[in-house]
Amino acid sequence: MTDHRTLRGPASAKAPASTGAVRISGLSKRYAMAGKAMTVLDDINLSIRPGEFVSIVGPSGCGKSTLLRLIVGLDTDYDGEIRLDDTRVAGTGLERGLVFQDHRLFPWMTVAKNVEVALLNQKLPRDRREKVIAEHLALVGLSDFGDAYPHQLSGGMAQRAAIARALTNEPKVLALDEPLGALDALTRVKVQAELQRIWMEAGTTMIMVTHDVDEALFLGDRVVVMSPRPGRIARIVDVDLPHPRDRASPLLHRLKDEILAELTREPRGDDGTLVAFPGRPRG
Amino acid sequence: MPMPSHGSARSRLTSAAIRIAPIAGILLLWEIAALSGIWPRQVLVPLEQIGATLLALASDGELERHLSASLYRLASGFCIGSVIGVATGAAMALSRNVHRLLWPTFTCVRQVPVIAFIPLLILFFDVEDSFKIVIVAMASFFPSALATHDAVRDIPESHREVARLYRMPLAPFLVRLILPATVPQVLTGLRLGLTRGWLSLVAAELLAADSGLGQMMEMGRQLFQIDVVLAGVFVTGLVGFLLDNSMVRIERHLGRWRTA
Amino acid sequence: MNRRVASFALALAFPALVLGWWEWESRQGSGHAYAFAPLGQIARSFAEMIADGRLALHAGASLQRALTALLIGGSIGIVAGVATGLSRVLDRTASPLITTMRQVPILGWLPLVALWFGNGDGAKLLLVSLSAFYPTVLNTQKGMQAIEERYAEVGRLYGFTRLQSLRLIAWPSALPLIFTGVSQALAFAWIATIGVELLFSASAGLGTEMMAAQVAARTDVVLVCVACVGVMGFALNQLFALLRIRLLHWLPAAGK
Repeated sequence: MTDHRTLRGPASAKAPASTGAVRISGLSKRYAMAGKAMTVLDDINLSIRPGEFVSIVGPSGCGKSTLLRLIVGLDTDYDGEIRLDDTRVAGTGLERGLVFQDHRLFPWMTVAKNVEVALLNQKLPRDRREKVIAEHLALVGLSDFGDAYPHQLSGGMAQRAAIARALTNEPKVLALDEPLGALDALTRVKVQAELQRIWMEAGTTMIMVTHDVDEALFLGDRVVVMSPRPGRIARIVDVDLPHPRDRASPLLHRLKDEILAELTREPRGDDGTLVAFPGRPRG
Repeated sequence: MPMPSHGSARSRLTSAAIRIAPIAGILLLWEIAALSGIWPRQVLVPLEQIGATLLALASDGELERHLSASLYRLASGFCIGSVIGVATGAAMALSRNVHRLLWPTFTCVRQVPVIAFIPLLILFFDVEDSFKIVIVAMASFFPSALATHDAVRDIPESHREVARLYRMPLAPFLVRLILPATVPQVLTGLRLGLTRGWLSLVAAELLAADSGLGQMMEMGRQLFQIDVVLAGVFVTGLVGFLLDNSMVRIERHLGRWRTA
Repeated sequence: MNRRVASFALALAFPALVLGWWEWESRQGSGHAYAFAPLGQIARSFAEMIADGRLALHAGASLQRALTALLIGGSIGIVAGVATGLSRVLDRTASPLITTMRQVPILGWLPLVALWFGNGDGAKLLLVSLSAFYPTVLNTQKGMQAIEERYAEVGRLYGFTRLQSLRLIAWPSALPLIFTGVSQALAFAWIATIGVELLFSASAGLGTEMMAAQVAARTDVVLVCVACVGVMGFALNQLFALLRIRLLHWLPAAGK
């Protein structure tokens, strides 16, 4: 596993990552409910470069959360292939991490202990372990809160702790499932900037699902727009702007308009014809 | 993944069988051990003998005598105790002054388990019916009072304000407002009171009585007639179970209008 | 300020009334004096019992019995609860048995145990342990079964072994309910202790002393014992509540 890699600490310049390439080919997921077959994901193809930040947006029911769970291995029932650095993924593994929308810190452990959970099954000597934990707490700005319990933290802080835990074992790819969804608007903006900084320093490949188009554009190198029922990739938008991003950038606004147009477009039936809403003129 | 919830008759039978199996197993082991004679017949009585004793007691009226004595005490004590309990609980919840007056004493006395009062009550009432009825009354008083108090207190203030606004007189206020809102919780309290009352009664009868199921068991113990004791245990458990079950049914029936 | 004084006064009013009525009854002639021991006498008996160590002896014996039984019944209950909570096979076989046995009240076991094991301390301990066993096993089982899937998923992400999962997720997660079970067991054990002491008047104990006093028609002694039972029961529950706050300090204040 990843036990002897040195931590890519707060480096001044982000070294280009060499591992963490994800390739998804022909991914489909179906299940039967009350006798009917439901397709959650239909023929997903996506290639993610090492160290890239990919945002995924889409309305409810487009299977984006399911996609993350499949990548991370919490769900193993699917057709198609998911490869990490050319190896097929099978079940969960320490090289793929996940941050949930509800932080899921263990309430009975301190923040530091929660972070240590990531190192549980890695053979690290004690002093090295403590150093790694301290470094990651510093990375997310929670150095002073190592001994606090989750119920004592605010939502934003708890989510940052969850991110620290997910990064501590230095996964090659980190999935984030609407990580900021439970936070209020002001905190969300702040933590977005934090997340960008953390990603820049750590250099891990990140795949983030979000409802918030602004967030997707602010953080992502690319934005994958999905359509629902069945879940498919509608289009992929390149965000060709340097990091750290400037929220006021006109390109971001233009891209946002494009994506929103895509998301609110009239649904097409499976055979490509426009589905007509009653009372609405065609065209 | 949604599970098929239709229970075919066969699957229900199997699950019932699985549940009964361990009990049947234990009874079987008992029977084998009893018949094997490892322990003297006095100590480990075979099931059929217990059954025979039970039938004998039933047929010659012994069982009926003891059972009716016990049930009479239970019924009287429970009625007295629960009525006073419900009234007290409601009064404490509705009137702040009554609450201040009674609640501290109520809480203090509640700390003492009811059976601890048995010796005291024997001194006051002697070993006749009265002290047992008082014990049952006490045992049913506290759970019903507490449940009623909590139930009435939990009625949203808004409901009571409406009643005050319309100047509802006391009787309709109690019947149309308080009663329906509190029935489920009060019934649960009554059920608990009934169970506790039954247990306290049997305990009291074991200690000091000249009739009743408890006394029947105690006599059996003193005469080393374990079959009588076990028959008594069986009937005690059965009565307790039936009482509890009936209350649950009543609760379910009366609480139908509730949405979860 | 006046409100609080009024509340206090009212709270004392009721017991004061009762005490006054009691004292009046005790002066109503010899027949009544036997049941209604004068208040002065009750106070004197209390002082006596403390001075000659009787109160400490009996209270201590009861306490020891209850706590020992709690330890025995509680531990077995936790082990059984963990086992049935984790293994569905064990649950299916053992649970109906436990439920059936629970239908028979502890009282019901009493004549049985008395006949099989005699009147000694062992029999008493067995009965009280039994009363501590039920709430513990039921709540522990519920606790083990109520482990949230979302925490289990985190365990899967980090490759927890079954043992790690048990130690780090299942057990702490179940602890609040286990605590509930043990505190119920404590309350039951105290009641059962007094109960068996009343019924098997053998060695020392508050229940034993109460029965002896009743036979000797000493209402004053009985009352001192009753008060002692109540106070000790209350104190035990409070101590346990404090212990729970200390041990489960990671629970948010509003949580159970």
